[in-house]
Amino acid sequence: MFGRGHFSLGRQSIMKRKKLDGITIFLFLLPALVLFIGILAAPLISSVVNSFYQYKGFGSKTWLGWDNYKRLFDKNQIPFWDSVVHAFILAGFSVFLQLPLALGLALLLGRGIKGERFLLSVNFLPVLISTVVIGQLWLKVFHPEGLVNSLLRVVGYLKEGDKNIQWLGDGQGKLLWACFIPMLWQYVGYHMLLMYAGVKSVPPELREAAKIDGATDWQVDRFVVIPSMKQILKVSVIFAVTGSLKSYDLIRIMATLQTKEASVPSTILMDYMTLRGEYGVASAVAVLLILLCFFFAILISAAFKERD
Amino acid sequence: MKKFLAMLLAIVAVLGLSACGKDDGLTMWCIATKSDSNRHSYEAAIADMEKKYPDTKLNWEAIENETYKQKIKAAVSGNNMPDIFFTWSCAFLGDFVKEDKVYCLDEAYKGFADKLPEKMCKNTTYNGKKYGVPLTMNIVGLFANLDILKEVGYDDVPATYEELIECCNKLVAAGKIPFGCAGKETWCVTEYLESIIEKSIGAKALDDIFMNGATWDNQDVAKAVDIFQEMIKNGYFDPDGISLGNDDVKANFMAGKYAFYMNGTWNCGEFAGKEGFNVKVAEFPVIDSSKAKLGQLIGGPSDTLAVAKSAKDAENTAKYTLELGQLICKYGYLDGCGLPAWTVDYNADSVNALTKSVAEIVAKSDYMVLFGDTAMPADEAGKYLEQVAKVYGGEVDGAGFIAALKAAIR
Repeated sequence: MFGRGHFSLGRQSIMKRKKLDGITIFLFLLPALVLFIGILAAPLISSVVNSFYQYKGFGSKTWLGWDNYKRLFDKNQIPFWDSVVHAFILAGFSVFLQLPLALGLALLLGRGIKGERFLLSVNFLPVLISTVVIGQLWLKVFHPEGLVNSLLRVVGYLKEGDKNIQWLGDGQGKLLWACFIPMLWQYVGYHMLLMYAGVKSVPPELREAAKIDGATDWQVDRFVVIPSMKQILKVSVIFAVTGSLKSYDLIRIMATLQTKEASVPSTILMDYMTLRGEYGVASAVAVLLILLCFFFAILISAAFKERD
Repeated sequence: MKKFLAMLLAIVAVLGLSACGKDDGLTMWCIATKSDSNRHSYEAAIADMEKKYPDTKLNWEAIENETYKQKIKAAVSGNNMPDIFFTWSCAFLGDFVKEDKVYCLDEAYKGFADKLPEKMCKNTTYNGKKYGVPLTMNIVGLFANLDILKEVGYDDVPATYEELIECCNKLVAAGKIPFGCAGKETWCVTEYLESIIEKSIGAKALDDIFMNGATWDNQDVAKAVDIFQEMIKNGYFDPDGISLGNDDVKANFMAGKYAFYMNGTWNCGEFAGKEGFNVKVAEFPVIDSSKAKLGQLIGGPSDTLAVAKSAKDAENTAKYTLELGQLICKYGYLDGCGLPAWTVDYNADSVNALTKSVAEIVAKSDYMVLFGDTAMPADEAGKYLEQVAKVYGGEVDGAGFIAALKAAIR
């Protein structure tokens, strides 16, 4: 009897301790949980719910079912898919132009060339400058009487009497490139810094061993450094793609919210939310944007896993 | 000691929070940020009110235009409105009135009826009840650089449409650009297009389309749009305008690059203040005299103050708001930011000559059609602006414009 009682008391005490541990864990997790629910989950759920309603941002809501989504898929109503295509083009240029450039710079600087610190700072500088300032700067560059057209006149591409090229809005898509060029330029330094950290984390012994085996600088980079920084490359690709899908600030400064030439999902979202007061449509754009970002993040992770 | 400190911090935090909710005068939100031309009129009016009512403290906050639209809507949604708030007339305020969030000013208005003409409250009257305090009002004016006109033989702004076209042809032949219009900001295009439509189809017909549900399927509107596009094709507009914002275009006009600039009369103060700038403001001439006439203008009172239904002591707040609105209007007029919606019962000799000439145009007018994007509900205004941008970019003609708006709006 004593034995059974003792066993039962011991079990009770373990149960009690487990319960206490559970409460402690819960209490420690609570602040993070509250923040997660309050800042991420609740707005997300609210966006999903609003996307099925006609809603002005206040007052009563009218149930619409999938109508807001159908409008997004109807090109004649809302140029949402054009904006997604624009974001994909930007993502493509980010991955195939911006990242290789950043990687090249990171590898070059990682070799410990002269003026490494200075060049690192110079390349990172655009990231530190406010996007508003960068936008204003490039507006001057692409202004009808700005730097680009002046250069074209100097080299003779534009002759006297020729009209200025309207880089900031001719209805033919030039505005899209005028917005993308500064976006790609601004974030080269950001990715370069990430990759530079990766290059520097490669143990010097590995480099030295390869060198002793007769590898050239390029071969060291190709077969030793780049494979060691796969995780950083993955992060950079995810940032570049999701960042392109979410792009907004520079386009907002260089174009307008109602731009069609350079529209991206976020400009459509803000146009419908702030100017047109159609929160339902804006919420539907937000939901699709989140799904697209998740999809590509998972896809890129899977692609890198496959290679591993 | 630790427990004592923790207690002390908790007490301070609780006291701090309770102070946030303390009843401390009236609250007001507006869009007169530090860079806004109306900022001074708000500051001067509030200073006068604080002197007159030292016991009533007004805590006011100015928020940038686009952010403000979201903020006020969120406040209406969350029943967290300030006591007094800035709003645009017609559809914008109308939505809040529909939700029963705005205090009716009928009772308070009785004490101000002799200073605020009934017709100035038209755009903020819903179901026969007044809900808004109009501030300054503006119209679209045809600003002309007289020095440039002189170069092609004109001493004054052409008075008829035929003369205006002849003048534009002479300007183009002389290598001058007649008009500047900011294509990057569609509202600037509407300043031209709406004036041309109004002077082609008449003010009543345009007002009916904007405000009273008349169809866009109107061949006269299509013809007016074609006239506008013909002017663009004939080289009357700066080709660079399509990629310029209003600040650039205005600066070009002030620098003598264009002969004419159609825009709001809120620019009068700035133009009049520029030394040596020989500028005059006029009404856009009549295009079809069988339907339109001089004295039909685009504009009217839109900037408005309103009182939340949830305001503290709402009736007295309403009276306070009317008095404040009257003062903002006074200082705005004296600063050249617009015309007075309220009766002028003070010395206005210091008002610049340009603003005074606008006042004369308004005094002679008999019909004002509010700016289309203000008159229409936000979703319809968005579709309208989309088509206006296409007209300026040459993507649709008059027939395409009316067909698209007929399908999209009504």
